[in-house]
Amino acid sequence: MKEYNPVCKGSVTKYVFVESPSFTPSDLAIKAYEVSQGVMIKETCFGLQITGNENEIETIVELLRKLDPLHIFVKDRGFPPGDNRRCRSNLGGARPGYFGHEFEMGLLHFISYGLKSLDSSSTPDNEPLQRKMIEKIPLPLEKLRQIIDSEVN
Amino acid sequence: MTVPVRIAQLSCGPEYSGVQNEINEAARMVDAEVFYPDIKLSELRRDFDSFGLDVRSPDLKLAIARAKALVDGRVNADAVFIASCFRCAEAAIVRNELRRFIHENSRLPVVSYSFTERTTAATLLTRMEALTTIARRRALLAREVQEGITMGVDSGSSTTKAIVMKDNVVVGTGWKPTTEVMKSAEDVITTALEEAGLHMEDLDAVGTTGYGRFLVGKKIGADLIQEELTVNSKGAVYLADCQHGPSTVLDIGGMDNKAISVQDGIPGTFTMGGICAGASGRFLEMTSKRLGVEITELGPLAMNGKWDKVAMNSYCIVFGTQSLVNALAAGSFREDVAAAACHSVAEQVFEQQLQEVDIKEPVIMVGGTSLITGLVHAMGELLQTNIVVPRYSQYIGAVGSALLASGFIKGE
Amino acid sequence: MAKVFIYPATSLMLSDLVARFGHKPLGSAISVRDHIQTAGFESPPLQMTPDDPKKGLKYAAVEVPSGVRGRMSLYGPLIEDADAAIIVNDSDYAFGCMGCARTNELVKFLIKERKMPIIELLYPSTEEEGVTFVRSIRSFLDSLKDGSP
Repeated sequence: MKEYNPVCKGSVTKYVFVESPSFTPSDLAIKAYEVSQGVMIKETCFGLQITGNENEIETIVELLRKLDPLHIFVKDRGFPPGDNRRCRSNLGGARPGYFGHEFEMGLLHFISYGLKSLDSSSTPDNEPLQRKMIEKIPLPLEKLRQIIDSEVN
Repeated sequence: MTVPVRIAQLSCGPEYSGVQNEINEAARMVDAEVFYPDIKLSELRRDFDSFGLDVRSPDLKLAIARAKALVDGRVNADAVFIASCFRCAEAAIVRNELRRFIHENSRLPVVSYSFTERTTAATLLTRMEALTTIARRRALLAREVQEGITMGVDSGSSTTKAIVMKDNVVVGTGWKPTTEVMKSAEDVITTALEEAGLHMEDLDAVGTTGYGRFLVGKKIGADLIQEELTVNSKGAVYLADCQHGPSTVLDIGGMDNKAISVQDGIPGTFTMGGICAGASGRFLEMTSKRLGVEITELGPLAMNGKWDKVAMNSYCIVFGTQSLVNALAAGSFREDVAAAACHSVAEQVFEQQLQEVDIKEPVIMVGGTSLITGLVHAMGELLQTNIVVPRYSQYIGAVGSALLASGFIKGE
Repeated sequence: MAKVFIYPATSLMLSDLVARFGHKPLGSAISVRDHIQTAGFESPPLQMTPDDPKKGLKYAAVEVPSGVRGRMSLYGPLIEDADAAIIVNDSDYAFGCMGCARTNELVKFLIKERKMPIIELLYPSTEEEGVTFVRSIRSFLDSLKDGSP
């Protein structure tokens, strides 16, 4: 068994996704480089991955969020950018987690809409906590009898 | 350098069981690479829905959609490895259905495996080797006739066998229990050559198979060193004279068992292994010792007994032996005990392994245990078929090796 | 700031909303990062070894498949560490770490067994539901700040 010595020990990596009609991943990258303070930035098709120590990353994330708060979304990542253990070109296909991102990316515009609504005070804040399941009420016996009778006769 | 064989992995759980590296390592050892078939989320949804098996685990949905991409030819691969956690019922259903789906709808060789955290690259090696052989050596495996003078040596865990063939006829045989791997091989080679009236230098080509194939093959300068899954399949359909169409090859060995679903002499799906020696030839060896008969007499003895008169379940060889001792102490007939032992082994192979391959007739039993008539009878009863046991079935690996080795005769 | 376990643990939107509203999201990435950044024996891709399913024995018996126990070794400690949890129940397309339905059932059960504040939701499929989704999460997270959910 080979010994394993981790690289990027103590570092934090975050995904910064951008799902905006007016802001592209490369716009985001340009802005990120301006405030990067030396952390590693990698542009991807959906936004960026940034790697550095936790405090630096938090600061940059806050700055980037401000660029378009309703359309920029941030998430932790376990691997550093370009790690060949997770890289599509190395695995032949996308790592499983990619599909999860792809799925949620398709719903982000609803979240953006929801975030936007927080700015307006038009809707009260005591919304029901979740969508109600459609309640299935069993057919009353008498009703069932009527249906059968009407079919038979 | 040869181009690596590309093995598509359809799986749930190996990364989290700590065995993904073992899978990769086993593939690397046979110059293959494992990859995930690349699909899009939209294809995943569409193909999972259209497959119709409504499982809950997302990684199994992904495996189903990836299998569809392979069968449709949207992703190219040379072979398929299906893996999921041992004891997961949901995954076992998917594994079985995908194996069948790929087998029936493509020419891709498939092996499915259920792993635990203890699975190692060494355990997976023979399976990976067989997958790569089928992918890489289809032309070699297409051989139907032995030519020239060739020898095959099968260095198995229990016994070592050698066969010398000349112009499609067996002319020499050698057989002995395996002690020292090399010494046993040398002895059976000498016996087989003497019987054939030939010398080493008369041989045009040599092949080796079995657990000791690398050691023996290297020492005697074999032209072909090949795992036993493909070699035994080839040997079985050759000896049973059913080289075309489907067949099932069953080899209950000394250490592990093989069940292979074969099409035109080429394995499509296969399984090998065994939970315990209780489901192997070893248990029958112990039974015959306890009954005070030669292993060759166990079969005929069992044929005269009734298995259901003795309670026996050799799921574990220790408990199986205990049942055996108890039954004899309680006054059971030796014939019934012999029949119960044969039935118990057959039942376990049936329950644990034959569920993993498609049983298509003819079912050919090979290997040393195929000579135990009681075992063949018990298996036939379970499978509801007349099992074929060809001549020289105990030499199966050696015959397969000798046959395939003729593809290496100079000028071919 | 509360530590909030997110389900699916790989969720981008939950991770974002928890952090956006001032709390710490606990998801797969935290545990995976731990594995990737800890020296030991090489076991790509996740640096999970056969020892991880053994650690998972704390949460599931040995008869439970190794993949469940391995995944539980990632999630169990996070659930124990969490102050609250957000669960999106129709997460049918979260793969990899969340790729096993049996693990996911056990994860949800262990969250509920801990009697911590929980909010259960479904993914939004309309703009109106997006509003409900975001507002519900914000109300829930706000309630954690004053310790009375």
